[in-house]
Amino acid sequence: MRKSTKIIGWTGAAMAGAMLLFALVGPFLIPYDAYQQTGASFQAPNAEHWLGTNDMGQDILAELAVGARTSLFIGIATAVIATFIGGIIGVLSGYFGGWFETLMLRLIDVVLTLPFLPLMLVIAVYIGPGAFTQIFVITLVMWAGKARQIRAQTLYIKKAGPVLAAKSMGAGHTYLFRKHILPGVFPLFIPQFVAAVNAAILLESSLSFLGMSDPLMKSWGSILYYANNRSAFLTEAWVWWIIPPGVCIVLVVLAFSFIGYYLEEKVNPRLSAYVPSPKRTKQPIALQQDLLDSEVVLSIDKMTVEYPRKGVFMPVVSGVSLQVHKGEVLGIVGESGSGKTTVASAIIQQLKSPARLSVEGIYFEGKDLQKFSDEEIRTVRGNQIGYIAQAAMNALNPVISIEKQLAEAVLVHHKLPVAELNKRIDEALLQVGLDLKWRHAFPHELSGGMRQRVIIAMALINRPQFVIADEPTTGLDVMVQVEILELLQRLQKELNLSMIFISHDLPAVLKITDRLAIMKYGYIVDGGQSAELAELSTHPYTRRLIDAMPLLTQVKRKAVLTK
Amino acid sequence: MKPNFTAFGKKMLQYGLVLFVAITINFLLPRLAPGDPLLYFFDEGTIKELTTVQKQLALESMGLGGSLFEQYLVYLKEIVSFEFGVSIKYGLPAMEVIWERLPWTLVLIGPAMLLSAVSGVAVGAYSAWNRGKSRDVSLLTVMLTFQAVPGFWIGMLFIAVFAVQFGWFPTYGAVSIVQDGTITGWLKDVALHLVLPIATLSIATVGSNYLLTRSSMLESLGQDYVVMAEAKGVTKNRLIFNHGLRNALLPVYTHFMMNLGTLIGGSVVVETVFSYPGIGRLLYESVVARDFPMMQAVFLLITIGVIAANILADLTYPLIDPRAKSTRYGKGGS
Repeated sequence: MRKSTKIIGWTGAAMAGAMLLFALVGPFLIPYDAYQQTGASFQAPNAEHWLGTNDMGQDILAELAVGARTSLFIGIATAVIATFIGGIIGVLSGYFGGWFETLMLRLIDVVLTLPFLPLMLVIAVYIGPGAFTQIFVITLVMWAGKARQIRAQTLYIKKAGPVLAAKSMGAGHTYLFRKHILPGVFPLFIPQFVAAVNAAILLESSLSFLGMSDPLMKSWGSILYYANNRSAFLTEAWVWWIIPPGVCIVLVVLAFSFIGYYLEEKVNPRLSAYVPSPKRTKQPIALQQDLLDSEVVLSIDKMTVEYPRKGVFMPVVSGVSLQVHKGEVLGIVGESGSGKTTVASAIIQQLKSPARLSVEGIYFEGKDLQKFSDEEIRTVRGNQIGYIAQAAMNALNPVISIEKQLAEAVLVHHKLPVAELNKRIDEALLQVGLDLKWRHAFPHELSGGMRQRVIIAMALINRPQFVIADEPTTGLDVMVQVEILELLQRLQKELNLSMIFISHDLPAVLKITDRLAIMKYGYIVDGGQSAELAELSTHPYTRRLIDAMPLLTQVKRKAVLTK
Repeated sequence: MKPNFTAFGKKMLQYGLVLFVAITINFLLPRLAPGDPLLYFFDEGTIKELTTVQKQLALESMGLGGSLFEQYLVYLKEIVSFEFGVSIKYGLPAMEVIWERLPWTLVLIGPAMLLSAVSGVAVGAYSAWNRGKSRDVSLLTVMLTFQAVPGFWIGMLFIAVFAVQFGWFPTYGAVSIVQDGTITGWLKDVALHLVLPIATLSIATVGSNYLLTRSSMLESLGQDYVVMAEAKGVTKNRLIFNHGLRNALLPVYTHFMMNLGTLIGGSVVVETVFSYPGIGRLLYESVVARDFPMMQAVFLLITIGVIAANILADLTYPLIDPRAKSTRYGKGGS
């Protein structure tokens, strides 16, 4: 968990604790009865009345302390009841399903759709103002949201492996509830409860402000109700009469939202991969002529990438050096977690923080990509270096049509007239074997193989000479994998592309690559010409990979290896 | 393009159910609540003067004669023909009073809704893009605080500071009593009266728009299509707007439309603070005056408004999410 989350959680707990203490001991310590006139009206804060007095000469600090009791009591009582009712209905409907669930879901939807504040007002006015009424009407609208979320959680646990296993061994309902459902659902009750306290206190204050509180029970909302009805803001008294009760409400609600945030992160951490990248500055770039002369398109010199783990930076890529020559396909093979995709991201300078990259140089066409500014590297990406992502992941934007995504890839680099742009898009689609009718389609209307073709079209649409293909066949059906592989092979030959082909699928890599680098635990452990490596490598890891290839006979294996 | 009729039909049934429940609540409350039901339609003085026969007649004319079921049928018939009874306080048909008040609520809610949504989304997206930096953390704190502040209290502070202390804005109402008679003068007057209520309602509702946009944006920025778009070489602005925000907006839009009910609820307290003559204030006034026919009519109308907003959300959602439309080409082969 992030440190800031912990700080937020503890701040919330401290604030809530302080308010609770104020509510418990405040009325005993403050020497005034909040319901009696204990001073002159409209006294400004002074030594006797720390927060002054209201129009009736009642001490405002005493009012706040008594109000804290009412507000916290109604808030917590409502939260307990609403979470309890919502919890029971949620667990039962999630566990048993059937007509009960259908009925409850309909009811929940109805309650959640009805405008809650007017509903509460309308019901409260018939029952008559008072603390009980407030608890009743707030519970009436609040249980539904709780029930819905707890039902979802129950459903999730019910379908989990351990429960199914216990069931298949004949476990009864009581056993399942005691051992699996309740222990699984209970942790969710707590953040639900905290959120409920929060909302209930706000609702209580609104209802009190609208005159629905017990006239004989002061709450923060009712103090403000009287202040408003007696036009406190027309006098100087607003400063000590209106501000303090509002601050109390804000502090308590904020305290519970902080605690809620902490618990939410603890039970159900938000997993977002996004972290902003630091800005890159422009640096002088020297051209490495010797690399160009030797027809080296890309050269990586001693690349190390580290990620922090428990405060210590651990390498995921260690001292990797690579070279790709013009028209050559270099394969990088390794298991997941071996660091091969990290190498690809590092080349196009797309490593996300907190990754730390240290490298002597990443030379592309003789220039060190590391030294490029944000704008300079942008003009390289997709224009000079094509990137083919894995389509099985959602690499295409789901809400933008294929045609627009292809057009965007061109327009961010070149200004083209519409007719020429259209021609370019058509060509790109035809090149990867897609019918032009798919131009206007959205990604969800395409199959996995077609999406992979679109991604290849997108990577090649600006006719880059160098392409990185990162697991382009992973997640596709076997037959489709073969098609995509053949497509890539054909395009590579036709366009004389230089390419890095990353995969964990050794047969695929052997088929398409000229040279191989085998990665394990962030190191390149073996390398050489693909065919040679397959036949002759004596490295134990390489041998294991190659011998594991599922081929029918020794003869066939030989046929594949020697192409 | 063929809309999905079964899903749409189910939704409509659901909204029908909501309306039915609202009507039934209105019907049952005065009949189940303790005390003389006539008390809900006349004031006490009037009731004392009535003879038993008159009371009986009054009950029948109020639809309170006969069995509960017969009463219900009569009640439904009235609702269908938009007869909500006569307001006790105003002595006018409830609908007439509502039509007079409704425009004020709309000019208040409309701009507040827009302001709250636009600023919530913009700040939320900015915050997400700068995740973890100090500006993100401070914006998050400010917005959490906004969310913790009761709307009526912001309104009271605004009146005390900007209307009374500084005298920049009027303290209450929608128009001044004294007018210079010109249209532009009137418009300016109305606008001045709107500033504080709109600001209050916007602040009270911006927090949830912000929080949802921020978390939704964080999720979309972590998606593969954003990585892919960056690898395509798109500019920073396109990355934020076309790829990150464009996708993050989907849940925000739904939340925004579905939460119109909350906003109308918020307008009850805000209109009350500013004595603004909209239907929120009307609801409060009829609650205070125990003007039950009026109150029921407003409640029903607000419910209908919420349902309309929900239907609008359902109908317009496919415009922003192509996946909500049915496939036009059939699922493709490989």
